[in-house]
Amino acid sequence: MDWGKVKFFLGEVGRNFTRNAGMQATAIGTVAVTVVLLGLFLFVRLTLAGVGDRLLKQIEISVYFHTSATTAQENHLRDALRADRRVASFTFVPKAEGLKELRRQTQGSIDVSILTQNPLPDKFRVRVTDPSEVAAVADSLRGQPGVANVVYGKTIVGRLLQLGVVLRRISIVLIVALLFVASIIISNTIRLTVFARRREIAIMQLVGATATYVRMPFVCEGVLHGLIGSLVALAILGIGKAALWSKLALALPWLELNSAHVALAPIALQLLAVGIAIGALSSWFSIGRYLRT
Amino acid sequence: MISIRNVSLTYPNGVRALDNVTLEIAKGDFLFLVGSSGTGKSSLLKLLYHDAIPTHGEIVVDGIRVDKLRGARVASLRRHLGVIFQDFKLLNDKTVWENVAFAMHVTGAHTREIERQVPRTLDLVGLAHKSRMFPSELSGGEQQRTAIARAIVNNPKLLLCDEPTGNLDPENTAEIMDLLLRINTKGTTVVVATHNQSVVDRMRKRVVRLEDGRIFTDEERGFYYLGLGQGQVLSG
Repeated sequence: MDWGKVKFFLGEVGRNFTRNAGMQATAIGTVAVTVVLLGLFLFVRLTLAGVGDRLLKQIEISVYFHTSATTAQENHLRDALRADRRVASFTFVPKAEGLKELRRQTQGSIDVSILTQNPLPDKFRVRVTDPSEVAAVADSLRGQPGVANVVYGKTIVGRLLQLGVVLRRISIVLIVALLFVASIIISNTIRLTVFARRREIAIMQLVGATATYVRMPFVCEGVLHGLIGSLVALAILGIGKAALWSKLALALPWLELNSAHVALAPIALQLLAVGIAIGALSSWFSIGRYLRT
Repeated sequence: MISIRNVSLTYPNGVRALDNVTLEIAKGDFLFLVGSSGTGKSSLLKLLYHDAIPTHGEIVVDGIRVDKLRGARVASLRRHLGVIFQDFKLLNDKTVWENVAFAMHVTGAHTREIERQVPRTLDLVGLAHKSRMFPSELSGGEQQRTAIARAIVNNPKLLLCDEPTGNLDPENTAEIMDLLLRINTKGTTVVVATHNQSVVDRMRKRVVRLEDGRIFTDEERGFYYLGLGQGQVLSG
């Protein structure tokens, strides 16, 4: 290992970086603004997705038995539910329990005591792991012996799932657009720094530097822009979260804002990676036009 | 060393810089390219270090078809020849030492090699005592000597000089020409494009005169003007 070479290379990067502070600040600022926007966007997207998921997870399938259904048939279904991997949980609600529930729900608006016998059937309440499989699970239960009816919020499940798909598509388009715009802005900023050094680049090539050799310090500089910009952005996002999170949770309680619902560390890493990639790629392409041959 | 065969060069804007030029330059030669401005001297040099590509013809430098080179091979060619210019083309934020060392860094030379070779070269051009100075702190002659040091630090077989004394006073001019001559006697082929008549007439080396992109005259031990010494007037 020739440490002299490493020292020389780092010296070149450092020298370029400390010169022209205004331009560096602009490039870093652009990365920071982009990453903040991207971070906010990812956060909103994840929160919405979380809300949707929680709504969907609350969807229950009610499996009603014929009043004539036998205990054997009910046990058979219990075994089937236990074996089914798509099923997250299920509870058996015997008719007596059902009546109590009905009483609780109606809270006296209907006088249940007029009933001389319990008209309710036994039922299973089933929750599935993956909301998109609600319909399939419901269908498979419908054919079981002793089962009279299978009911779930068909319309709401369909709409929520549809909404999820649309939201995901829109957000991908928006993210791509945001990255594209950011890359253009950053490329232009870096192009200015490259333009300021075009004479230097020409001289480097004149004494026999290869295109890659000329490029490397610039790309490292871009990586630094990306790294510092993303760190600044993460700091802004962190401070913003600390200041606003609890207020937001109070203002919109139904969002059930809870740090546990949004995994922040992976987002932070993604944002860092995106920032660095934007910086490096923009530099790579900005310098291209000043490299002859 | 250099073989230029039937070379023409037309720039994209339509200007014809060189027109069917054929020229052989032997190893160890010292050659002046003369002619008034815009006659193709710089263009001819540019072809040799691949800053321009001929429209027609072929160029061989030290066995390499320069006109066919692309990409990294161009960089490799430039490491094997030195070029100096009227405006020195030094990196202003680097010291004399760093400017010279830079030409070695790009070749991937080992630091130990750089630390051995740079002082030796600065010694040769007489700038050892100013190695820590920046170009802006040097005189024109010293800047050009720095550029020469940078050009020869990799021991090139060929040194190309485009108006090397164009910005210098007579005293510095003489020093630079002495230096070039010394480099030449060590075996490096030197090609100097100039319109400095006194330099050419004093040194009595091979003189190639270009006119309108063509070779007009080619003399061993020539003068700036064909067959005439300094002070004489070209008539007709």
